[in-house]
Formats: sequence, structure tokens, C-alpha cells
Amino acid sequence: MVNKLLRQFIFATMMLFSAGHAWADLVIVTSEATGISTLSKEDVINIYLGRYRRLPNALPALPIDMAESSEIKKKFYWRLVGKTLAEINSYWSRLIFSGQTQPPAVLNSSEDAIMRILRVPGTIGYIERGTYSKLDKRLVVVLELAE
Amino acid sequence: MHNKIRFWSHLSAQAFIFFTAIFFLLPLGIANDNSQDVKEKNQDSAVKFRGFGTLGIARSSSDQASFIRDASQPQGISNGNWSARIDSILGGQVNWQLTNEVMLVGQAVSRLRYNKKRTPELTWAYARWEAMPDTSIRIGRLGADFMMLADSRLVGYASLTARPPADFFGPLFFHHFDGVDASITKPAAGGLARFKIFAGKTQEKTVDGQNIWDISGSQVNGVVADYWQGPWQLRLNFAQVKFSNSLDVSPLPDLLNSAGSILGLPSAFAAADALETKNTTSRFYSLGVVYDSSGLQAQGMANCIHHEAGLLQNSCAGYALVGYRQGAFTPYVGLSAWKSTARGKITGLPAVAPFDSVNFAFGSAMNLSHADQHTLTVGARWDVKPNVAFKIQWDAIRGNSQSVFPVRDEQAGWNGKTNVFSVVSDFVF
Repeated sequence: MVNKLLRQFIFATMMLFSAGHAWADLVIVTSEATGISTLSKEDVINIYLGRYRRLPNALPALPIDMAESSEIKKKFYWRLVGKTLAEINSYWSRLIFSGQTQPPAVLNSSEDAIMRILRVPGTIGYIERGTYSKLDKRLVVVLELAE
Repeated sequence: MHNKIRFWSHLSAQAFIFFTAIFFLLPLGIANDNSQDVKEKNQDSAVKFRGFGTLGIARSSSDQASFIRDASQPQGISNGNWSARIDSILGGQVNWQLTNEVMLVGQAVSRLRYNKKRTPELTWAYARWEAMPDTSIRIGRLGADFMMLADSRLVGYASLTARPPADFFGPLFFHHFDGVDASITKPAAGGLARFKIFAGKTQEKTVDGQNIWDISGSQVNGVVADYWQGPWQLRLNFAQVKFSNSLDVSPLPDLLNSAGSILGLPSAFAAADALETKNTTSRFYSLGVVYDSSGLQAQGMANCIHHEAGLLQNSCAGYALVGYRQGAFTPYVGLSAWKSTARGKITGLPAVAPFDSVNFAFGSAMNLSHADQHTLTVGARWDVKPNVAFKIQWDAIRGNSQSVFPVRDEQAGWNGKTNVFSVVSDFVF
């Protein structure tokens, strides 16, 4: 019950402070407990494309994706690797159906993503900076993805 | 009834490997479990069902030979008739994440097979154990990773072209094997390096024209090295297979041995030996380079296949493919070539009756695996939705009259030339 109330509070806070922020501030975040302060773009590409899921401090990297229909997912992959969602799906269909690595876990909202990031060290996700700065100081921005 | 018994005995052998793998891997995964992580995993469904497929029609202009997708297909398309025969595929896959480290995967695919049927076939059934994020061990039925992109060549949605270039993947009739593979990935020289080894036995049958070739029980093994840096991927592959059975070219070996005995000709015995593929090894060497960035995709690959068996001609092949995305459309152009080398073996039998017919049959058999052709491919992929793509493609195949391995049912007038037009819809779900 408390957990549910907390979720609702966080979600309401996110909505309040994220309004008006442009997508220009797309950031990759993890929790303080993960123990890293930065990731290179190449690191994030390797983690999200399933090539190498280890953080610089050797902890397993657990990437989180947003739902297929979300605008932020589209922006994230476009800025990260210059690919459309169709191209990302095509990429993953090759790996999934040849029995190689699995795509990132998909969560339905940034709220769920942040909850997971704060709870499980090693988890990384992408959110708007506006959401991050007003939400929780336990989150660490490890990479900014410029327009 | 008899067939049913054979089916279940065959399946139980596969199931035995699969469940043995689970038996050994499950405790390993559970032993390393972290309850919090498992709880997190459980929030994302632990069992996932996915599928892929292609609905495709194609026509090949020549009425002198039938165009096929690869050497595992018993029938092709010809005479300008539109057909869904060679490209239509449907596959389903279940992934079951048992623990953080252990996943079970099963995949079945319906496609045109050696027996002209589309009965679904168990293509993958394995347990995957990832003790660490950069290592993986898989045990069970696995994709035959003989060349770059080979183990995903049935998944049309994953590819730019309507079908894998036939000049390059045409000679590959292996899709899976029962065994084990292990891989490790490490940062190296500013990029990522992955090394993989595999070994096992095939459980497949293939076809050469009308003759079914049972290659089940053939030993396969190989190594793969990949390197990624930025938009580049480089792949080196080596694989080999030791055949468990000979291709049926009877009664030719008996005729050659009889003639050799009558005439005392060692060359006739040698010719009979050359027809044997049992216990011979074929080796596959390949190199692949892929560049993929901001809508530009380019692939370049080369392979050489060396056979110990005289019946199978050594060959080399290559292709280059470039595509550039324009919105939802990606036009592409490719060039490929495939050439084998004739053995030049002769029986030594005199060119008079009745030996001339044996000579003729031997010459035909030795030419069964001859390929000498190149293909220009032009097409476009249209990503209609994030999980559906339409493609149209035109292939101009230009070879010589002896190039019979890439086709089926060649007639006396086959000149090695045909044009293939394809319209396909690929999807994943």
C-alpha cells in the first residue's frame, strides 16, 4: 500500500516537473549504489545492443527499455545509434531468433524504470533530465545524449 | 504407424539432449541466484513467445531450370510462374528465463524441406547458461553458425534483402546441430572481441535433385571470432563437417568397380572412391565485414569451401551489398558470385559401349556440385510498421550452362541465366 502511494507520488512529481522540458535533455541514469559516475556512448551502445553488458566497475549492466509506442524510446535510439525503431526491431529479431542475447527488459513508464534503477544496482535507464533533477538525488547521470 | 514410431524415437533423442542440459544447468543457475534479482525478473514475464515469418511470392524467368533459395530445397520456381514455394516461412519461439543465469529456448519452423513438405521442424531446443554477463554456454539443438548471419537466415525481417544471397548461402544446407557452444566477449583494442567454439552432430536430411541425403550423425565443429568497433563488425569463421553417409549415386560406384575389375583399371576404382562422401570432411572458411550507421548499411563477405570428397567441388563465393535508408524506404543494390572448380577426374574406361554410358554418368555426377555464376540484385525494403516490412527485389543471375548446383531440374537447354522477381512481406510478433 505504502509502495503504491509512493509510486503515485513519484509519478505525480514527475508529471509536474517534466512538463515543458524538451527532449533535448535525454540522459542515461543509474543509481548511486551502482558505483559509477560516467559511461561512454560506446559503453551504452554495447549494453543496449546486447554486445557487452558489463559496467566499467565489472558489475553486470541491466538495461531498461521503454514501451514500443513511447516517444522517448524513439528519441533514445535515434540519438544513440541513428536508428529507427524498425531498424532496432530488425536488429533484435536477428539476435533473438538466432538464440543469442536478449533485448533489454521493457517497463511501461519512466516511473517504473526509476523505481527499478533505485532498487537494483547495475540497472541503467534513459529519462528526461527534467524528471531526474527534480525527482531523486540518488540517481546519477552517466551520459547525456545531445540532439 | 511406422512413421509415427520413427518420429517419436527421433524426437525423444532430441528431448533427451534438451532435458539433460536442463538437468545439469538448472542447479548451476539456482546456486548463483539472487532473490531480489529473480523478483525483478519475475516482473517482466519469465516466459516469452515470439514468432517470425515471411509471406513471399517470386518468379524465375527461365523454363530450363528452377531457381532455389539454397541447396536444402528439393524444388524451385521456373517458367515465369509466380510461386510462394521457396520464400514462405513461419517460425515460433519460446524463451523461458528460469533464473538470472539460465534460459531455455525452443524454436520450430515451417519451411520447404528436403521431402517437399512443410512439417514444422524443431530448429532450436537448448539451455543457455550465462554465468557472467560476458560468457555463454549453450547445450542442446543449436543454430549452425557456419558463416556470418547464417544462423538467422530464415528470419527475413532481420535482413535487408528478400532472401539471403543465394550465391553465398546457397551451398549451406545445415541449419542446426545437437551439441554445445561456448562464447566469451571482452573489450579489446578499443572495441569488443568475441570468441566462440561449437561442436556437435547434425540431425538433418538434405536433398540433391531427387536423392535424399541423410547427413544425420555427421560431426560438426567450428570456431568464430567477431570484432566490433563503432559501426563496424568483422567476423572470421571456420567450420567443418565430417559426413556420416554418402550421397546416393547408385548404381554408379558398383558399375565403376565392376568395370575396373574386368579391365584391371585402378583409375576406375579411384573414380568409384571419389563418389563416396561418407567419412570425408568438408571445411568452410569465411570472412564478413558489416558497416551499419545512420541509415547506411554495407556488407561484404567471402567464403571458400573445401571438400575431401571428389564428388563435391571446392568453391569460393562472395557478395557485397549496400543499402541506404530514406525515411521508411531502404533501396539496396548487391553483387554476388559463386564459382566452383571441376575436379577433372576421369574413369579411364574406353569411350565405347557399354563403358561410354558409365563415363557419361560419372561426368554428370562429378558436375552435380558445379557452380559458376554471378548475380546483380536490386531492391527496396519498406518498413510499413515497426514489425512488418515489405520488399521487392530483382535478381539477374548470369552463369554458364554447367552451373547446375544452384538450381534444380535443369534441362538440356539450360544456359545459366535467369531473372528472379520477388515480392515479400516479413513480420515478427
